[in-house]
Amino acid sequence: MDNYKGVLVCGEMADGKLAPITIELLGVGRKLADELGEELSVLLLGSKSGALGQDAIAYGADNVYISEDSLFDIYNSDAYTMATANLCKKILPSIMLFGYTDIGCDLSPRLNGRLGGGLSMECSALSIDPATKLLVTTRPVFGGNALATMLSKTARPQMATIRAKVMPPAERNDSRQGKIIPLEDKVDPSALKVKVVEKIKEEVEGVKLEDAEVVVAGGRGMGTAADFAKLRELAGILGGAVGGTRVACDEGWVSATLQIGQSGKVVSPKLYLAVGLSGAMAHIAGCLGSKCIVAINKDNDANIFNVAHFGIVGDWKEILPPLTEKMKELKGK
Amino acid sequence: MNIIVCVKQVLDPEIPPAKFKVDPETKQVIPPAGVPPVISVYDERAVEAACRLKDKNKGKITVISMGSEKAADVIKHAISMGADDGFVLSDPAFENLDSFGTAYVLSKTIQKIGAYDLVLCGRQAADWGAGQVGSILAEILGIPVITLACEIEVAGTNVKVKRIVSDGFEVLEAPMPSLVTVSSEIGMPRLPAGMRLMMARKKQVPVWKAADIGAEASFLDKGNAHTEVTGLSVPSRKIECEIITGATPAEAAANLAAKLANLI
Amino acid sequence: MSPVSATYLGIPGYVIFWVMFLVTMGLFLPRAYFLYRLMCLGKQENRFDRIGERFKNMLFVVIPQWCTLKSVTSKDLAGIGHALLFWGFSCFLVSYIVLIGISEGLGLHSYIRGGAFETGFLTVLDIAGIIVMLSMIWAAIRRYIVRPPRLEISLEAGFIMFMVFGLMVLHFCTESFGMAALGETHGLPPISSAIASYLVNAGVPKDTLMNVSYGAWWLHYAFILVFTIYIPRSKHLHVLASAPNVFFKSLDRKVVLEPIPLEALESEEPPELGVSKIQDLKWKDILDLYACAKCGRCHVSCPAQVSGKTLSPREFLRHMKDHLLEAGPGLLTKGSNGSGEATPELEGKRLVGDVVTEDEIWACTTCGACQEVCPVNIEHIRKLLEMRQNLVLVHNQMPESAQLMLRNMQTRGNPWAGAQSLRLRGDWTNDVEVKVLGESDENPSTLLWVGCTGALIDRNVLATLSLVRILNAAGVDFCVLGEAESCCGDPARRAGYEFQFQISAEENIETFKNFNIKEIITSCPHCYNALKNEYPLYGAEFKVIHYTELFAELIKQGKLKLTNDVNTLIAYHDPCYLSRYNGVYQEPREIIDRIPKAKFKEMERSKTTTFCCGGGGGHMWIEEQHGTTKINHLRMDEVIETGADTIATSCPYCLQMLEEGIEQKGVKETLKAKDLVEVVEAAMKQS
Repeated sequence: MDNYKGVLVCGEMADGKLAPITIELLGVGRKLADELGEELSVLLLGSKSGALGQDAIAYGADNVYISEDSLFDIYNSDAYTMATANLCKKILPSIMLFGYTDIGCDLSPRLNGRLGGGLSMECSALSIDPATKLLVTTRPVFGGNALATMLSKTARPQMATIRAKVMPPAERNDSRQGKIIPLEDKVDPSALKVKVVEKIKEEVEGVKLEDAEVVVAGGRGMGTAADFAKLRELAGILGGAVGGTRVACDEGWVSATLQIGQSGKVVSPKLYLAVGLSGAMAHIAGCLGSKCIVAINKDNDANIFNVAHFGIVGDWKEILPPLTEKMKELKGK
Repeated sequence: MNIIVCVKQVLDPEIPPAKFKVDPETKQVIPPAGVPPVISVYDERAVEAACRLKDKNKGKITVISMGSEKAADVIKHAISMGADDGFVLSDPAFENLDSFGTAYVLSKTIQKIGAYDLVLCGRQAADWGAGQVGSILAEILGIPVITLACEIEVAGTNVKVKRIVSDGFEVLEAPMPSLVTVSSEIGMPRLPAGMRLMMARKKQVPVWKAADIGAEASFLDKGNAHTEVTGLSVPSRKIECEIITGATPAEAAANLAAKLANLI
Repeated sequence: MSPVSATYLGIPGYVIFWVMFLVTMGLFLPRAYFLYRLMCLGKQENRFDRIGERFKNMLFVVIPQWCTLKSVTSKDLAGIGHALLFWGFSCFLVSYIVLIGISEGLGLHSYIRGGAFETGFLTVLDIAGIIVMLSMIWAAIRRYIVRPPRLEISLEAGFIMFMVFGLMVLHFCTESFGMAALGETHGLPPISSAIASYLVNAGVPKDTLMNVSYGAWWLHYAFILVFTIYIPRSKHLHVLASAPNVFFKSLDRKVVLEPIPLEALESEEPPELGVSKIQDLKWKDILDLYACAKCGRCHVSCPAQVSGKTLSPREFLRHMKDHLLEAGPGLLTKGSNGSGEATPELEGKRLVGDVVTEDEIWACTTCGACQEVCPVNIEHIRKLLEMRQNLVLVHNQMPESAQLMLRNMQTRGNPWAGAQSLRLRGDWTNDVEVKVLGESDENPSTLLWVGCTGALIDRNVLATLSLVRILNAAGVDFCVLGEAESCCGDPARRAGYEFQFQISAEENIETFKNFNIKEIITSCPHCYNALKNEYPLYGAEFKVIHYTELFAELIKQGKLKLTNDVNTLIAYHDPCYLSRYNGVYQEPREIIDRIPKAKFKEMERSKTTTFCCGGGGGHMWIEEQHGTTKINHLRMDEVIETGADTIATSCPYCLQMLEEGIEQKGVKETLKAKDLVEVVEAAMKQS
């Protein structure tokens, strides 16, 4: 346990640049490394990794481990697990940080299983206990009804996954120095059991849900897929995006990629309009970070009114059309 | 084909939030009186995925659950949906195990059950939501793992899985035996059909202890736990919701729009 | 005179008579037998119990024509017309047997004709004939000129009226011309004599008179035979099927659902659950289809139909009968138990889905108005519920809102679970003094069964608390199950999830037995109906009363004193499951009568003609289909029309639906919905 040192960020790349989540992880990783007096490293896999080494250093990394093997350009669970595990066995990081992303959610548990560490998913806070120097993680449990603090006394590495926009991004300092280290071990393509056969991109019109400043979400009370079109209309007027609860996605009224909640996307827009949804905790977990939550529901006992800032008790069928009209007017001004 | 599904019995996630209470001393949730525990939401989806595979290809579904003896209820629920058989793993040594401990117990059970083509788990438990047991289990068993499935098919000797990613879907294939974790996007689980509901009630679900599955004490030692919970609390949420009214719905909508004017 | 004794073109009359008769029988009997065999395709059901009671029912319904007289209102007097027609035509039926069959056919006319008996009989027939003709004129005017919504403009109806009217005209022709030919113009039979006198005075030749009389007689005979052939090929089959249908009606329960025997399910070839093909119906269901005369009374009383949904009780019965006649021949040739598939031409015409659509199946609120008003005791509801059973238990097909409710019932033990309720089952017991079962060693043998809605939904909890306070004040010794109470199972049964009902029933009965419960008080009519009428089939042995029955009794005994003034104009909405299903409607009125200063306004559709609130049949949870309006809005219009400021009811679903209606109609300021217990409590002195 004592020979485990340092913080390793499993980085991701998007559109030829460091993914925003990686910059956030470097930020918190730097803080943790400084508290421990240890080094911060980042792993980048893919053909663009070499070009981004300096950026990673500028954001706080002491070491950047890269592999420019194009095998890593499309995420493959086996390949990433093998490569990362090989690195970990060499450098023995005390702490590993992942994004709560498509890659991170798949890679971290598998890696944890392979390395025998201790993993906390979806952390909302990380800190180093001053006495024990252990990583203390805080994460929501029971659908967001409670918060748990966790640590790993002896298991290493101590791992955590963090959602985007939870931690502030690292400050860039181009004068920082660091090392760029290519990985020694190669991954044998024939050893990969899991193969990616197809990628289907869902063309989402307009603003991406995670980036939208305004989100209009519908739930069980919507009733049909056609009713969701009315939400799209309002979202369009406000320059925002549409999302749905687990029920709405299960029913096929809105694409599964637009699910908001504990097991979907977490959004924190300026304005979150919750239409015809009761506000089960698992959904609310996905929108609590919003500046202003507005609820429209015909049941005045609905839980959504416990977390909303404004609300109207009524049938959305009667409220949404005039609201859309008024919003159109106001936007026009 | 032989499918094994791992299910967990959890506190009902739909209890009114105001009734949710924790004991900070024991770091446990205090279950409210008169609320029966239920099958974890994602595990039920895993059972549904297994039933759909059984509908298409001939097969046998075995369901296993680590928990108290009451976990027999979730086994019966799975049987009423379409599973054939099930076992409860209950032992004082199994209490409060972390993800690794849980995966270990499940792996010993699966070894005892014998041959399998596919192991299905929910993507995370509806209570603690650690989201790791499936992947760790796959590592222990030495089989490939695919996570967050929204559709599972059999393609020859491979399993073909459509999984959900942030900007769409991916389709992956892996040779069986392998493990797949199932997400809620797979759709609504079936309502247990008439006859199966009655059949399942009468089923005697065997309970296996540590000795029955050959679980070694060192793996169950809480002192060797990979992660432990050091605190549990309920965050306070104090927001006063301002209810907007109006003589008509249209007026209420207009009043609301006025309030939000500076946000859009 | 004897038409049969004459010879026509060399052929003896009686030869013609019997040849015509045999031809008719050759066309009637096989068809009737065919219909009988179709009926036997249906499943077994024992409707042969309590034969004496059944005979009495049939006689007392048919002979005094209570079947149609029961639904006579100031707006719909047709029942009187039918009664007159029936009594009149019955006389003619006797005459066909005696005066045609025995007298002419068997050649015994010399014993029957020419005496006081004949004169007396013909006098009765004369009067009956006029009555029947007038009733047919009235019927024709009603159907073709007035055109009330429930009657169809159909060729079938027209033909039947024409035939009946024609038979009367031909009777008068036969008698009056015959009497004129014989010079018999003495006063009786009155009308025939009068016509005969006129004919004699008009100087019509004797031969002509005789020929016309004989001609009319034969034509009359032909009409009877044609009518006979027509009966099993049209809706007029109801004349043969209706009396048996009344005989075989359900004696106790409105909806006869039998427990599904589990042993049968575990056999090698388990029967399919519910109804998916026409031969899955019980034989009594098929007899129902024969008994229907398309009167349309059910059509205009159905809340789904009048609020614009596609469901119409009359229509789906019609479609089922048409489908039976289409699919029947194929099924009969496959074997007498009809286990064959439908014939190839019927591919794609499934009973459930095509003949009766899923929308129709799910729109029913099981209010029972159709069955209440049906003159021939057709059991509409059971057919729809058994089709729901097939959809749910076998095909996992149901509206999403139904599936959510059923999943809740199955995993959580009540239909309200999930984000719909912010309460736990036993929470309400904290707000009032009440004995909870299991808290002490001894417990009262009277249980107050609160029900899911009364325990979990805020508005209805207020009523529960009122009820408990009243029972305490009246000194009733009772207990409650508190958090251990779980659903009676009724919503599952109404939504077709039959096994869940069975499981709930068995578990609840076990609980009652363990605690030695002898009597149960309910506040929800749905629980009341389930516990009282349906649980006994699962082994229950306890008395069940609704609180309205109890209060009425307590008031009589002086244990409940209503002394506070309650100044209100109050209307009462009869819950379907209390008034129609169980006949409890006097007691609430007795209670209201005792409330000081309260003025009562009766609604037009009340007691057993009450109009559904829209919440039954699982519809508290199942989304109402799109129609022209909502069912509870229609009821609200009636309530608002009374001008009452309080609308009281004694059902939690009705209370919810009325509250919602008040909200949606925007009359919150002037009208309040209350459970009757709340009104009663307001009338009690606070201690």
